[in-house]
Amino acid sequence: MTAKKIKIKVYRDLMGANDLWASKTRALLKARGIAMLNLISSPGSGKTTLLEQTAALLATRLRFAVLEGDVATTHDAERLARLGVRVSQLLTSGACHLEAKLVHRALLDLPLDALDLVIVENVGNLVCPAEFDIGENAKVAVLSVTEGEDKPLKYPLLFREAKVVVLTKIDLLPHLPFSLPKCLEYIRKVNAALPVIQVSAITRNGMTPWVDWLAAQHRSRIG
Amino acid sequence: MHEVSICENLVTTVLKELAQGGKGAWRLKKTRLVVGLLHQIVPESLTFAYEVLTKDTPAKGSVLEIRLVPIVARCRVCGWKGEIHDSLFVCGACSGGDLETIAGKELFVESLEVEEHDG
Ligand SMILES: Nc1nc2c(ncn2[C@@H]2O[C@H](COP(=O)(O)OP(=O)(O)O)[C@@H](O)[C@H]2O)c(=O)[nH]1
Ligand SMILES: [Mg+2]
Ligand SMILES: [Zn+2]
Repeated sequence: MTAKKIKIKVYRDLMGANDLWASKTRALLKARGIAMLNLISSPGSGKTTLLEQTAALLATRLRFAVLEGDVATTHDAERLARLGVRVSQLLTSGACHLEAKLVHRALLDLPLDALDLVIVENVGNLVCPAEFDIGENAKVAVLSVTEGEDKPLKYPLLFREAKVVVLTKIDLLPHLPFSLPKCLEYIRKVNAALPVIQVSAITRNGMTPWVDWLAAQHRSRIG
Repeated sequence: MHEVSICENLVTTVLKELAQGGKGAWRLKKTRLVVGLLHQIVPESLTFAYEVLTKDTPAKGSVLEIRLVPIVARCRVCGWKGEIHDSLFVCGACSGGDLETIAGKELFVESLEVEEHDG
């Protein structure tokens, strides 16, 4: 028995299969004039709270649905369903991010002809969700002022990929050592053109610019 | 966690390639992976995940070789091109921030080294 050593050139992207589903999703949504946003943050940054508040403000402007990515529980989906939001739960059974195929299947279960906007709440984690394209129009980085100012420098991929940053819990600023100018500077250093919308669920500050930004995403989709 | 999900894709890709050699004909010695630094992968974690995930597969016993690619960006304003360090996407010439990432996002299997057995 003889053994011959050979080198096999592969050049295969590890995200290839995922990206294929993502492009299917893009085509599906584009044909129907639907915009899709992918909310990414650490656990507890305020994504679900932001969506709860968005629901009431958006109701008169756009028809929308939420896809809730969660590792194990359905709490967040229940919170939104209670407000009358059309919401589908995506359980990742342990995975730390949503993949394009799962999202695509969930979209097919939605009444797409009656929707303008789909907002995906990704699994709470700043690393993996930024890696996986799910066919969204824009990634939204959600960052709360209870986290470090330097999160953008620590997780550059997300802040490079995102189209907007929503800085949450700004009502807490007076009680925290968090430096807002420093945080904004770090965001600019990673991605100079990235807009930042500052919001608070308590004072409702910033909700109008946020909802306007959502509406603009939909307009650019149909325009 | 990050490394494990990436490694799952890696092992699926490798096994698919190996199967092309025909049943049991190729014995995998080495997998060469190219990873851009923007992925913030810890090579040791990826190597460990690779060992665990290939254990009961035809890729068992093979070595994972990781080539890290630095982050390189190009300034859309003045054309400067250079490496990015510490997440600072700032032009080295005009100090502007309108930069396009041209390297550092790679994540692909470059090649496999196999032993072919006949007889
Ligand atoms: N003070 C304050 N607390 C907030 C705000 N937004 C969310 N929270 C709180 O932060 C915690 C986590 O919020 P949640 O929306 O569940 O975060 P998620 O994990 O990103 O979905 C909850 O206790 C919220 O009440 C805010 O604007 N201000
Ligand atoms: Mg939540
Ligand atoms: Zn420049």
